[in-house]
Amino acid sequence: MTTLHVRKAAVLGAGVMGAQIAAHLANAGVQVVLFDLASTEGDRNGIVNTALAGLKKLQPAPLASKARLMHIEAANYDDHLAQLADCDLVIEAIAERMDWKHALYDKITPHLSPAAILASNTSGLSIEALGAALPAALRPRFCGIHFFNPPRYMPLVEIIATAATEAATLDSLETWLTTRLGKGVIRARDTPNFVANRVGVFSLLAVAHHTAAFGLGFDAVDALTGPAIGRPRSATYRTLDVVGLDTFAHVVRTMQRTLGDDPWHRLFDAPAWLDALIERGALGQKAKAGIFRKAGKTVEVFDPATLNYRATNAAIADEVAAILAIEPAAERFTMLRQSPHPQARFLWAIFRDLFHYCAVQLAHIADNARDVDLALRWGFGWRQGPFETWQGAGWRDIAEAVAADIAAGEALSDTPLPAWVFDGRDGVHTPEGSWSPRKGGPVPRTTLPVYRRQRFPDGLLGECLPTPARDGETLFDNAAVRLWRLPERDSRIGILSFKSKQHAIGREVVEGLRSAIACAERELDGLVLWHEAPFAVGADLQELADACSAGRFEQIEAMVSDFQAASLALKYARVPTVAAVQGLALGGGCEFAMHATARVLALEVHIGLVEAGVGLIPAGGGCTALALRAAELARHSATPTEVMPFLQNVFMAVATAKVSGSALEAQELGFMSDHDTVLFHAGELLHVALGQARALAEGGHVPPLPPRGIPVAGRNGIAALEMSLVNMRDGAMISAHDYRVARAAAVALCGGEVDAGSRVDEAWLLGVERRLFIELLKTPETQARIRHMLDTGKPLRN
Amino acid sequence: MSKQIQDAYIVAATRLPVGKKGGMFKHTRPDDLLAHALKAVVALVPQLDPARIGDVIVGCAMPEAEQGMNVARIGVLLAGLPNAVPGYTLNRFCASGLQAVADAARQIQLGLADVMIGAGVESMSVMPNMMGNKLSPNPAIFADDAHRGIAYGMGLTAEKVASQWQIGREAQDAFAVASHQKACAAIAAGHFAAEISPYAVRQHQPDLTRGEVQLRERVMATDEGPRADASAQRLARLRPVFHATGSVTAGNASQMSDGAAAVMLVSEKVLKEHNLTPLARFVSYAVAGVPPEIMGIGPIAAIPKALQQAGIRQDELDWIELNEAFAAQALAVQRDLDLDPDTINPLGGAIALGHPLGATGAIRTATVVHGLARTAGRYGMVSMCIGTGMGAAGIIERI
Repeated sequence: MTTLHVRKAAVLGAGVMGAQIAAHLANAGVQVVLFDLASTEGDRNGIVNTALAGLKKLQPAPLASKARLMHIEAANYDDHLAQLADCDLVIEAIAERMDWKHALYDKITPHLSPAAILASNTSGLSIEALGAALPAALRPRFCGIHFFNPPRYMPLVEIIATAATEAATLDSLETWLTTRLGKGVIRARDTPNFVANRVGVFSLLAVAHHTAAFGLGFDAVDALTGPAIGRPRSATYRTLDVVGLDTFAHVVRTMQRTLGDDPWHRLFDAPAWLDALIERGALGQKAKAGIFRKAGKTVEVFDPATLNYRATNAAIADEVAAILAIEPAAERFTMLRQSPHPQARFLWAIFRDLFHYCAVQLAHIADNARDVDLALRWGFGWRQGPFETWQGAGWRDIAEAVAADIAAGEALSDTPLPAWVFDGRDGVHTPEGSWSPRKGGPVPRTTLPVYRRQRFPDGLLGECLPTPARDGETLFDNAAVRLWRLPERDSRIGILSFKSKQHAIGREVVEGLRSAIACAERELDGLVLWHEAPFAVGADLQELADACSAGRFEQIEAMVSDFQAASLALKYARVPTVAAVQGLALGGGCEFAMHATARVLALEVHIGLVEAGVGLIPAGGGCTALALRAAELARHSATPTEVMPFLQNVFMAVATAKVSGSALEAQELGFMSDHDTVLFHAGELLHVALGQARALAEGGHVPPLPPRGIPVAGRNGIAALEMSLVNMRDGAMISAHDYRVARAAAVALCGGEVDAGSRVDEAWLLGVERRLFIELLKTPETQARIRHMLDTGKPLRN
Repeated sequence: MSKQIQDAYIVAATRLPVGKKGGMFKHTRPDDLLAHALKAVVALVPQLDPARIGDVIVGCAMPEAEQGMNVARIGVLLAGLPNAVPGYTLNRFCASGLQAVADAARQIQLGLADVMIGAGVESMSVMPNMMGNKLSPNPAIFADDAHRGIAYGMGLTAEKVASQWQIGREAQDAFAVASHQKACAAIAAGHFAAEISPYAVRQHQPDLTRGEVQLRERVMATDEGPRADASAQRLARLRPVFHATGSVTAGNASQMSDGAAAVMLVSEKVLKEHNLTPLARFVSYAVAGVPPEIMGIGPIAAIPKALQQAGIRQDELDWIELNEAFAAQALAVQRDLDLDPDTINPLGGAIALGHPLGATGAIRTATVVHGLARTAGRYGMVSMCIGTGMGAAGIIERI
């Protein structure tokens, strides 16, 4: 297979999806040309430029760094088609009209590079029919590439072949999408709505049907169909508001038109209330009103009975909540089926019809059950796909119950379940593969080499894939950490994984880390700090709060010293240490990452020194590391002792507990180094971190020399930072305690209350941050913040 | 005390159009702006040998970097004035330009010189922030609450004035809209033509596709700040910047700007020798201190002193240029002193026209001089508040 290198790509169509796809390509370091129609007056690229301006404001942010925006070039079909000549990939994302797409393909094909891949982001049109209009030479390099909104954040991309698409095109595209864009790729069949939307939209419509049938409110259904059953917080109706009710109605109408032979066809109709809302312009989030709307501070929900809004008041009934808490799943589903409560009956009904639909349609829409389950996980944010949910609930019991409901006329269709459901199986996912009715047996996971980079892929129930906790060979273990290795990969690189809740850093983690480093120095060539997300949510606050309320401040200071020693151990270890960071890396987590020899960062990380939120400053070496960084940057500037220009921004980031929205932002904020590796697929972190540790070791790793003669900003620097604090406090933007905490951060970053330009060493800086930390900890306001965070999980503004 | 040892007469007063920060003078160096103002003011009095200029005093609020190195002397030399003409830079923040004109007048009044230039220059485009290239306040400011006003940003001082003088958001916004309307009307009527010396901006822009430096010259003759579309409705949408629950916004504060102006003053002797027509007589100038945290009220203390020195009553003033650092402080000053609103900033103020800190005093002196000439008024005044708590006022009389 030839490797696809996408140096430059074109995106055709600067609508919601096109512009966001362009943004994510730019995130991935691809030069992008974003096309749309030429404007007849004014700026010829007006449409694209408006879309690009919109990218900066859109939430969640499509750009991982605003600086990437300049790498998207605006273009139009009249003036700039020559730009296509050196594009390796062209993604078409214009409106869903076959004739328009064909016309555009006619226009662009003469300009395409002979090696370029052309792919359509259509969600509703037949890929085969789209490809039929292309010249024969291009057809092998044409396919569907269906992203989900928002494309930066939704992992799923469905790729859809035509009969003419070359296998190499699909393989290289899947590889590139996986490792370079961080996507989860499903090969979908060219059936209407492909896989995820076919099942997902069916599920939404089934929920809508049963909402009415059981007389439930939209708010009640959202309570029932969100995290309570492993689906996103936006549940059902909030999701529709986000998607846009007009868009959803359009999707439903497309299904109505294209799925005439689907046994559930009568379900594919927009409910009357949906049309009523659209008619009054309540199109959802974009119109600031839809199924839900905000009235002042309260949220109101549309009531289809009165065609008016009312206050939301629904919750899951206690007895239903109790059922949903039951483990194992088999018992939970049994109880759901038996309960007379309308909420429970509703839940059973939506699952029953979902299972029914998936079983009947599997053979038509997908190669195997795994693709359906992963599509729903990655495209709709479900914790489990429909088949694994069924399998987890007891395949045969559920199958019988569904069949009984079909027989009783309670299911939404009387189509019988396919025979394979009853062939004695216990499920569809097995260690050998996932059931494929088309092939009549289990289909194993793909052997595409790119997946070897993922040690722990998203495993489905029944697949029995290795899990981190049981994998490899343990070298050292305590209650909070495990040091292990993968002998078949590299027996002399250790992997240290935290086991604590949310990977919080308490005494045992600190001790474990130091022991692991000592062990690595004795027996290994390198150490990787890796576990699944989050990297670490920070220091163990409970431990701190307990010691604090007992007044054991000396003990706390010793704990902080140990924490700092652990950071220094990472930095000065005789073997290279590589932190593989994904998810949250806050407070102490950020500090550990900062001190490692090198870092491998997932694109989607939230990194920050957030101690100010609990009235503290970073004292695990964080302030020290930033002061050292400023001194180092100054050393290479025209004024080698002027550290202030390199402290201003990091000071604000610490004082306001700023958290990065991506790895690129973490680098821009100064928390992470520009040299750190950024990976778009978090599943590849371990693979790459192991490689980096090995490369560093092979390169003859020597730990850094402890810095000496570090110039600090001192009292003048503190005053300069305090200037903005005074204005914020007296401008009522921060509290007196915010001021105190921020000033402490200023003092720590400026190396203490010493003359400007004084020279200090690392131990001095660590001492300053440690003492300030303890001083703050002794204040009642900081203690109140810590208690509040422990009680509510939210910061207290006092 | 309106008669000094000898009188100082303004024989020429001119300014460049004022550019918005990052606007038309974005790439123009302030020393070039100054040199142009000096060249222009000298050219207005062709009868006079420039070698007779005793000194050139230039006000600048952030005299560093592009406007450092004693920008006054640099400006003199770049303007092509004889080497014999000296120059020095002074700093009284926002009153620097007025202070320079006043100091130039005083040299003449004391009989120490016969020809002087007072000028002002500021480019806020070249400053990385309002407080210069390296902000380094004294730590003692933060050790004592009595000093904290020194640390206040100007916007916060305006909030303090707004709350102490109870100047509401609507009044501030209305004042701002009026400033834009007056400025736009004045531009349309050509009222600034007499005071403005157009400036040819030479741009050296990289043409990336051709790989060439593209030279472009554009003559700038109009102030860049005034907005015809300013309305109370639009301004009401802006959020307060300096206080969480405040009323001071970007819309009712002065604009950050680039500008330069120069005023030539001579003694009676020179006036007669060269048969020059004086535009005005420089009558008096006073400064006064107020608490730094309410610096905006500075004119309340300075104006009565300047009037007293001039020996005239407030109601004798036909034209007042009251610098609009913030609508809040301008309104507080107007109300406390009971100034006649019809005489204040007839052509708009800094909210519309911009406030290039150290240049403003000299710029508005040119406005008063030409405004009185056009309207046949007699007494005019330039006044402004000054950061860290001062006020300044200078009075001139049309001859």
